[in-house]
Amino acid sequence: MSDARILDTGYRRYTGPRLGPRHAVRSVVASTLRRILGLRRPARNKILPVLTIVFSYVPSIVFVGVVALLSRFDSQEVESLVPKYEDYYGFIISAIVLFVTFVAPEALCPDRRYRVLSLYLASPLTRMTYLLGKATAIFAVIAMVTVGPVLLLLLGLSLQGFGPDGFLGFMGTLGRVVGAGLMLAAFYTALTVGVASLTDRRAIAAAATLLLLIGSNIVANTLHFGLDAPDEWMLLSLTLAPFQLLRRIYGAPDFEFSMATSTVILANVAWIAFGAAIAVVRYRRLQVTR
Amino acid sequence: MPPVAVVRAEAASKRWGSTLALDGASFEIGKGITGLLGANGAGKTTLLGLVLGMHRPDGGKIEVLGQDPWTFGPQVRAAIGYSPEHDCLPPDVSAHDVVRHVAEIHGLPAREAQTRASDALYEVGLGEERMRPTGTMSTGQRQRVKLASAIAHDPAIVLLDEPTNGLDPVQREHMLHLIRHIGHDLGLDIVLSSHLLDEVERVSDGVVILDAGHVVRSGRLDELRATDTAELLVEVDRPGGEPGAGEQLAGALVAAGVAARPAGVDGRVVVALEGDVVYDLVRDTVDDLSLVLRRLERRRASLEDVYLSSSAPAEWSP
Repeated sequence: MSDARILDTGYRRYTGPRLGPRHAVRSVVASTLRRILGLRRPARNKILPVLTIVFSYVPSIVFVGVVALLSRFDSQEVESLVPKYEDYYGFIISAIVLFVTFVAPEALCPDRRYRVLSLYLASPLTRMTYLLGKATAIFAVIAMVTVGPVLLLLLGLSLQGFGPDGFLGFMGTLGRVVGAGLMLAAFYTALTVGVASLTDRRAIAAAATLLLLIGSNIVANTLHFGLDAPDEWMLLSLTLAPFQLLRRIYGAPDFEFSMATSTVILANVAWIAFGAAIAVVRYRRLQVTR
Repeated sequence: MPPVAVVRAEAASKRWGSTLALDGASFEIGKGITGLLGANGAGKTTLLGLVLGMHRPDGGKIEVLGQDPWTFGPQVRAAIGYSPEHDCLPPDVSAHDVVRHVAEIHGLPAREAQTRASDALYEVGLGEERMRPTGTMSTGQRQRVKLASAIAHDPAIVLLDEPTNGLDPVQREHMLHLIRHIGHDLGLDIVLSSHLLDEVERVSDGVVILDAGHVVRSGRLDELRATDTAELLVEVDRPGGEPGAGEQLAGALVAAGVAARPAGVDGRVVVALEGDVVYDLVRDTVDDLSLVLRRLERRRASLEDVYLSSSAPAEWSP
């Protein structure tokens, strides 16, 4: 007699556990990560995120490789070839800007354009927990290019004996690498979420973010260099303000501008609060159904 | 044990600017399928928004499964499945991924959500199509994906807002069949919002009729329709089976001074019941015309009668 059985695979009542709003937020984070990275979507959706991530890691891989090849020669010569951790961002700033302009619009705009938001808000999620889930995913993805490459550089160099001196030195640098990268990710997450919350068109949101980054730089430079405004006015630049704070996290000297660290921190906190406030106000007022 | 109210409203009001969308609505929605009937702009979608806790009532209160949806929004919404009136599916995501994600955010563990998304899509007839992006699907298929996403997490209540919008007659028939199946065979309580009277009448056990923000009638459909009209329904036939018996009887009754009209189906006549003598008159007229009497009964109200008597009282008052 055969052991084969016909199982009823149709719809049936569910008696298992029901997880709460935290699970819903986690699900939004996971789904948004998949969307941004193009997972479970056609190949064309994977091109931009994969290329950007690759570009941000390539310099790091190259430096670690060069050190591996030349490590048997003069160590001081080798060390001089590798940039300082705070200077590494100069190699990947384009990748970061590209990623920042693309990530939040991809995560936020389609939900409003195709009115998927009404499905989200008919679930245990609220407007704010939905936004929290989206922002967390955006933050995590941006952190992939602001923390990951420098962390790889630190680990690669340390494993070959070219890292910071001693365990405490390593942990201190690790803290700076992670802290500075997360700060950059938080800064650009707030900024781009704020911009993306104002339109439901991805292309417009991406262009607006890019214009804001470039435009703020032009305004700050015009005020400072053209109209002799004090150095602090350079903190209006959205590409300079977070990197001023980043250099201070690394304890790196700044010979170009003279500003108090408290002013730099305040400016960065203000930018983050401004971007987040735009998104919060926008989503609070958004009419989903009436 | 008294019947459990799934949704209860007491003098609930909601205003949008100068528009009073809901004006002191009081009703109870019980188990089974309940139609939320009203013309466009009657306040149906606003009421669904209040049930979901998306809006705070300006006055009165609403309870869903015994809880205030505005105060306990996440808990209440976890027990609700919702299919909005408008399109709400991301076009570049597969039907399965949409339904799975909606089930997950309603609290189902990832593995369960995965399985139940497939089951729900099979249930609505999209088993083979479930991996297709929703943007490549027809309107009817997308409506069914929305229905699947509303039931995948096994909610206590399913809210369907105009689920037959944009469907052709065949798709509409299929959708109504699905709603009946989900409500009666799977045992989910459904609130079906619609402006189509026959649709509500065909699938619903109960009805809440809205007119310009007011609840004009609500209750079990069989109770509302149980109200006898002041009319008789007579069904006659000719001995040989030839058509025209109804028209012949109606003509004879009118000639005898009684208001009568053919009822649309051959052989059926609706006669105004102006006293018990009308029964005798009908019997005698049928006999005089040598017709066969198949049926003679008080005509029960249809949902159309209930709706018209509720929403346009001026035309029906003496």
